Amino acid sequence: MRGLLSLRHSGSATDEALLAAAAQGDVRAFEALYDRYSRAVYSLALRMLRDAKAVEEVTQEVFLSVWRGGRDYDPRRGSARSWILALAHHKSVDAVRHQRLRAADRLSEEMTGETDVVGEAIRSVEGARVREALAALSEVQREAITLAYYQGYTQQEIADRLGLPLGTVKTRMRDGMLRLRILLGRSMQGEQT
Amino acid sequence: MTHGELKEDIAAYALDALAPEEARKVEAHLRACEECRSEVAALREVAGELASGAPMVEPPSALRARVLAAVRPTPPAVTLPRAWAVSLAGAAAAVLLILAGLTVSLQRERAALHARLAAQGQVLALLASPTAKTASLTGTVPAGVRFVYDPDRRRAALVVTDLRDPGREFVYQLWLIAGQQPESAGVFRPVPGQPIIVPVAADLARYQVVAITVERGPHGVPRPTATPILLAKI
Ligand SMILES: [Zn+2]
Repeated sequence: MRGLLSLRHSGSATDEALLAAAAQGDVRAFEALYDRYSRAVYSLALRMLRDAKAVEEVTQEVFLSVWRGGRDYDPRRGSARSWILALAHHKSVDAVRHQRLRAADRLSEEMTGETDVVGEAIRSVEGARVREALAALSEVQREAITLAYYQGYTQQEIADRLGLPLGTVKTRMRDGMLRLRILLGRSMQGEQT
Repeated sequence: MTHGELKEDIAAYALDALAPEEARKVEAHLRACEECRSEVAALREVAGELASGAPMVEPPSALRARVLAAVRPTPPAVTLPRAWAVSLAGAAAAVLLILAGLTVSLQRERAALHARLAAQGQVLALLASPTAKTASLTGTVPAGVRFVYDPDRRRAALVVTDLRDPGREFVYQLWLIAGQQPESAGVFRPVPGQPIIVPVAADLARYQVVAITVERGPHGVPRPTATPILLAKI
């Protein structure tokens, strides 16, 4: 009764079709999406948050948003995959900023540069393709993007932390992202076939 | 803010590196600007690639169970005029009248039509069945709640004619209990002044007790967290 769009072949259905079916209340389509993306979502949240309980909360929130908000997804604004991962990143960033507010002491330690946050962040990038692409950026671009994406800092926080004008950080971030787009572009297309 | 000024912030937006008020400004611009929208789409794909730079860790299987339990569909509550509900246990002829007046309250509008047809079908089959039985739920709160069930057809419906509002953040959750093992049969909220029916599809011969707890909404919980406020043996 529940499977309004009965996706018997959910194994081969596109992410977009699964998302559309889940938005209509199809639990099996949702389950298939969970099985495809829970690992990526969980791993990204774990990379950013490091606290198992917070990571589980973020993962659960992401998938409940996928379930409830799937109909907000607009294919003209990117793939379902990037939509889900953007949701995961967004919620992880919210959680990491919240964590930092609560642990103001740890923040001040990080901000004074006693720990090598950037170096650690870059060293722990695991996917070979992503690591190579990041390695091909200039050091300052890599630093800006890593601090933003994996550490959840705002561009203003990054400017403060590095003692740079905000405009410089914006430029580095933007140039870096455009460069990554070219570097990762070919493999992104390859993956979608 | 102009298109040119905002364009500078688009990479940061795709990286979630804007303060909330800056992000809102970008979003307002995106609603009006096709060019920036397609740039965000492209940069989101890039950001999505960065996600695979995180060391891959398998999430715990308990998390999967929890997430799936949270989205398990809620049986659509069927509301019907009070006068008809009074005669519910009575004449089968009234059944058709009741069904004609069914209205379905659903969170998901698009599913409403399918769910309504299915719910009506279930209730019709149940009420028309000569083997259907009724149990009144009793407990710690005043209530008019009956469980009509037909073990032969694996169909049941909870008929709620009187039950107070559980509170804003809460829902009632219906449980079927086999031995010591409660299984969720859905969540519902009473509709003030209107009886509702919660359809249930289950192998009713397996269960000995039907119970209702108050749980946190909107999806309920995989296991009861409170003692039942109402129950009945079946
Ligand atoms: Zn624009």
